[in-house]
Amino acid sequence: SDLHCCYKEKCQQVLEPPYDEMVAAHLRCTYAVSNHDFVEAYRCQTVVVQYPLSRQKDGSVYLLGTHSAEQQLQKKGKGKVGDMLEKAAEQLMSCFRVCASDNRAGIDDSKKWGMLFLINQLFKIYFKINKLHLCKPLIRAIDSSNLKDEYSMAQRVTYKYYVGRKAMFDSDFKLAEEFLSFAFQHCHRSCQRNKRMILIYLLPVKMLLGHMPTHQLLRKYDLMQFAEVTRAVSEGNLLLLNDALAKHETFFIRCGIFLILEKLKVITYRNLFKKVYLLLKTHQLPLDAFLVSLKMMQVEEVDIDEVQCILANLIYMGHIKGYISHQHQKLVVSKQNPFPPLSTVS
Amino acid sequence: MKVIFLFIFSPKTVYFCRFCRGFCSRGRGRGRAQGTRWQQGQLKEECQDESEPRGTCMRMCPDRELREREAQKRLHRFEVLPGTEKDRLPRADPARTVKEYSRPAAGKDCVRAHDLRPPSVLLETVCYLIDHVAVSPSLQPWTEVYDFVFDRLRSVRQDMIIQRTSGPECVAVLEKTVRFLIYASYRLRDEPLRLYDPRINDTHLQESLSWLLDCYSHGQHPHQEEMQALGLLYNLGSNRALQHALELPERVREAPAIRLALAVNRAHLERNPVRLLRLARQLDFLQSCALHRHLGACCRDLLLLYSHAYSSRNCRFPLQRLAHILALEESQAAWLCQAHGVTVDREWVVFSKVSYTEAPTKDLRGLHFCELVDSKREAHCCQDHPWMCLRLAIFVDPCIIFPISLKLLIVGGGVF
Repeated sequence: SDLHCCYKEKCQQVLEPPYDEMVAAHLRCTYAVSNHDFVEAYRCQTVVVQYPLSRQKDGSVYLLGTHSAEQQLQKKGKGKVGDMLEKAAEQLMSCFRVCASDNRAGIDDSKKWGMLFLINQLFKIYFKINKLHLCKPLIRAIDSSNLKDEYSMAQRVTYKYYVGRKAMFDSDFKLAEEFLSFAFQHCHRSCQRNKRMILIYLLPVKMLLGHMPTHQLLRKYDLMQFAEVTRAVSEGNLLLLNDALAKHETFFIRCGIFLILEKLKVITYRNLFKKVYLLLKTHQLPLDAFLVSLKMMQVEEVDIDEVQCILANLIYMGHIKGYISHQHQKLVVSKQNPFPPLSTVS
Repeated sequence: MKVIFLFIFSPKTVYFCRFCRGFCSRGRGRGRAQGTRWQQGQLKEECQDESEPRGTCMRMCPDRELREREAQKRLHRFEVLPGTEKDRLPRADPARTVKEYSRPAAGKDCVRAHDLRPPSVLLETVCYLIDHVAVSPSLQPWTEVYDFVFDRLRSVRQDMIIQRTSGPECVAVLEKTVRFLIYASYRLRDEPLRLYDPRINDTHLQESLSWLLDCYSHGQHPHQEEMQALGLLYNLGSNRALQHALELPERVREAPAIRLALAVNRAHLERNPVRLLRLARQLDFLQSCALHRHLGACCRDLLLLYSHAYSSRNCRFPLQRLAHILALEESQAAWLCQAHGVTVDREWVVFSKVSYTEAPTKDLRGLHFCELVDSKREAHCCQDHPWMCLRLAIFVDPCIIFPISLKLLIVGGGVF
């Protein structure tokens, strides 16, 4: 407490109110963080956060600073993570509302500049506590804002990263590719770690759209877990795919991409069946041939009915051009381009 | 004081969010975590109240309410003392009267300890409701039984929330509730809206299920695998449910019930209805009840895929084969086809991309998945409890830890 008074006095000597109290609180916070007392640090941060709410005019400069600390301790908070995160989210939400409704100040002083930063912090929290549906109003707010392209690139990259991940979760892969590609391309060259994080989500989406990553890329960003998956999918090797997914299951599940990678099975079926077509060199393919190929890949308990269903799905999705004749138990494919390139399909 | 009780009555704290112009909930995790923290005595500054309320009512229905409802003639017919039904003022049977659900409201008195039932009594109440009311062949119609049991179970959950119960009794109560609601979702599927609302059943089922899954995150529970599997099947196609299951500890995930449920989900993810329906045959009765609401959509999807794949002028598909794949009787399969614009010509189905329609032209409520659900009832009943040769044998818990206590019945004063 001595220390606190000391901070406060010093600050009062140097700064105007309310900056003096804010900085004093911030100093207390950093002191607490250095002592690994995150609960106390959080309390100090809460004090700091209250100030912008009551100020008449101000910039979001100190908002940027304070929240990085808040977020740090959210990550490291012991035990009561979920609850602390929700409380932090509430605080941030109230700041956000203040910023969003700031119509008084001119564009240079407006609190609206703080919006994207706050939204990114909120996204981080919502993804951590797995409440993605709460992102929707925030996305709507940015979409309707006229400042959306004026924010700094760093903030925009972060924003696109989270929105891309949300699109993935909603199975909107075209949109996800757009956002994540933007984030990856515009992410600063030196931020390897961030680029890697973006890539973890961009890769499955690209693979679903038929674009396989090169080995070089995977090695550069230390993502060799995807190497076997990539190889399996392009070769149509279901056995290898299942093995690869099982081997790195923990990693994929933790990142939340396991389910999306499972969707690659359809692409793998397509590649496998294309091989069968190329081998048999005819456009009237017996269904039995496909059944044999699946059995070779050690797919459990597959019968001719299921083969027809898998083929039906591929035809429906446009991966195969043709039809099935049940009477002749054959798949009849188009003479021209029966297996259209993956990038042209849906 | 009143405000606090309002807060803890509902499993989720709901507030009106100016931002999304809707009701946002703070989610179950928070409420449950608070419950656990209460018992660990941490974060005292969180509690504005002195201590958690502890119920002292040792009967299924608190005395005050029993007398009140008796006097106001508001007893349910299942609670009336036999022989007094035709009286001017029917008497309550203390062994069969159960505390009803009452909506918390501002202006209502604070809940008193002798109006609350402790966890052990709550479990006994639930056992009574399931084993003696829900399963009883003499109580008809079942829609009325459902309404009664549904309401009384809701009141049990309310008592649990007020007392911030957690622990084995809480888990057992929720497990039985979930099983009952899943069964009801199947049993009453064809009832008209005025008698049964599937959406309300679903809401309560999801709430109980997520509360239960929350409880499972601490400690060991003998029925966890069964319930996780049921949750997975009931929520087929939900990414969230699937992700949750994938994050379970390996020991749990390897259990046969969960592996089967995951396989069913994977087949759904891959859009392989043939595989899905084939796997569905391996499910037991209750699991099939959990899955059944998705079966219609699966069949529809199959018809859609086949309409595209077999859409060639001379293509004919044998109806018998289709019926076998769909696990329906031929007449039912034909009816389903026609409802979706798929032509059936005697024993052949003629698929056509153009004529398939998504929205069924007829009411599909008559669809009966005998092979996938109904036929499993008997099997289930015989293998677990041959002496209870009833449709609802599923509710008797083989590992029951807290048997119905005789004390309850004696105190109740009734001859059972």
